[in-house]
Amino acid sequence: MDSRIATIARCTLIEAMRTRLPALVLVTLLALLAASFFIESIAVVEGDRLQTGFYASGMRLSGVFIAAIYVLVSVTREFNDKGLDVLLALDLPRSHYVLGKLAGYLAIAALIAVAAALPLLWFAPLAAVAQWTASLAVELAIVVAFALFAIVTLNQLTPAASFVLAFYLLARSLTAVRLMGAHPLAGADTLSHQVIGFMVETLALVVPALDAWTQTAWLVNGPAGWSATGPLLGFGALYVVLLAAATMFDFYRKNF
Amino acid sequence: MKPGAERSIGTVPRPVLFVFVAALCLQIAWQAWQPRPSARAEALGAPASPATLRALALGEPIALAQLLTLYLQAFDNQPGVSIPFRDLDYARVTAWLGTLIELDPAAQYPLLMATQLYAQVPDEARQRLMCGFVHDQFWRDPDRRWRWLAHCAIMVKHRLRDTRLALDYAEAITRGARRASNWARQMRIFILEDLGEIEAARVLLGGLLASGEVTEEKEVHFLTERLKSLEAAGKSSLPANN
Repeated sequence: MDSRIATIARCTLIEAMRTRLPALVLVTLLALLAASFFIESIAVVEGDRLQTGFYASGMRLSGVFIAAIYVLVSVTREFNDKGLDVLLALDLPRSHYVLGKLAGYLAIAALIAVAAALPLLWFAPLAAVAQWTASLAVELAIVVAFALFAIVTLNQLTPAASFVLAFYLLARSLTAVRLMGAHPLAGADTLSHQVIGFMVETLALVVPALDAWTQTAWLVNGPAGWSATGPLLGFGALYVVLLAAATMFDFYRKNF
Repeated sequence: MKPGAERSIGTVPRPVLFVFVAALCLQIAWQAWQPRPSARAEALGAPASPATLRALALGEPIALAQLLTLYLQAFDNQPGVSIPFRDLDYARVTAWLGTLIELDPAAQYPLLMATQLYAQVPDEARQRLMCGFVHDQFWRDPDRRWRWLAHCAIMVKHRLRDTRLALDYAEAITRGARRASNWARQMRIFILEDLGEIEAARVLLGGLLASGEVTEEKEVHFLTERLKSLEAAGKSSLPANN
C-alpha cells in the first residue's frame, strides 16, 4: 500500500480512537449483552437460543448504525474544518485520499465486527461465529463504503444519512420486494406493473440483497457452511471495489 | 465545497474509470447470474398470549392489535405466494382473532375478518368454526357485535341449511342485543316460520307489535300483514270440527 494511503488510513483510525468510537461500541455491546441476559432469564424454554438471537440481531443493527453515522460525521467534519482543502493542496492524488479514508473505515468496520462477535464465542459454535463475524465485517464494509460514497456525492449530512438508510432498508427488503412483484394477486399484465417489475429487477442488479447476510440462524440453528457464505464475501469485496470506484469518480469531479 | 460545480469526466483518471466500469459490469453480471429468489409458504404460528402482547405493546395495545390484524390479514398473501384460506390452520386463525379482540375489545375488524374472509371458504367445518367463534365473542359485547352474529345466522340458514343453528343465533341477538336493529331482533320470528313453528312465530310477532318497540309506520304495517297471514295459516292448519 502506498505510504500516503497508509498514513491517511492510520490517521482515520486514530481519529476514531480519539472520538470515543471504541467506548460507544463497548457501551452498546454491554447494554445489548445485559439485555440478552435479561431475556434469557425470563424465557421459559430455549433461553440460550433467545439470548443469542436477541444479542446477534441487535448488535448487527447497532453496528450498521454506528459505522454509517461515524463515517458520515467524520467526513462532514473534514469538509467543514477545511482539513480536506489542506490535504488536496498537497501533492496527493484524490484517489489516494479516498482509498486511505476507505481503508481506515474498513478497518473500523472489521474491528466492530470482531468486537461484536466476541461474546458470541460463549453462546455458539466457533465455525458459526466465524461465519457470522466474516459476514458482518463485509456487510459493515459495504455500509461504510456506501456512506463514504453518499457523503462525498451529496456533501450534506442529512441527505447522505437518509440515502444510506434508504439503501440499507432496500437492501434488507429487496428479496421480498422481488418476490411480491413477481407474483402479484392481480394486475400482473398491466403496463404499470410491468414497468415497476422491470425497475425492481434492474435495481436488484446493482443493490446487494443483504437479507441473506449475517443471519442469526447460523448461530442458533447451525453454521451455513463456507460454500454458502464464501460467495457472499466475494460479492461483498466486489461491491466495495465498485463503491470505491464510484466515490473516486465523484470525488475527482468535485470543485473545491 | 461548491455544490453543483463539477468538473468534466475527462478529469477522472483513466484507471479510476476503468475500475469503475469493470466493477459495475462484474457486479451486474454476478447479480444476473444468481438464481431468482423463490417463494416458500410459511405456516401461521400461534399468537403470543394477550398478556405478553400487552406488555410488548409499551402502552399501545390498540396500535399493536391493529398492526397484528394487518399481519394476520396479509398472511394468506406472503411475499411471492398466495395461500388459499382453506389451507390455513383455522384453530390458529381463531386464536389470533381472539387475541386481537382481547387487545382491542372495541375493534370490529377481527369479527369482520371472521365472517367475511375466513367463513367464506367452501368448507362447512371451517364455516361452523368461525360462526362458533363469532357466537362466543358476541356474548362478551352483544350490543356492539350483533351484526356479525346476524350475518352468521343468515349464512348458516341459507348456506349450511342449518335452520336450528340460525334460530339459536337469532334468539341470542333478541335476548342479548337490546340495541340491535329491529330487523335483526325480528329475525327469529321468520326463522321460526321457516321451521314450521307457526304458533310460536305468531305469538312472538304479536308480542312484538303489542310491546310498541316497533314505531315505524310502514314496518308496523308490514308486520301486521305478516301476523295476519300467520294467523290465517294457523287457522287453515287446524283440524276441521264436524
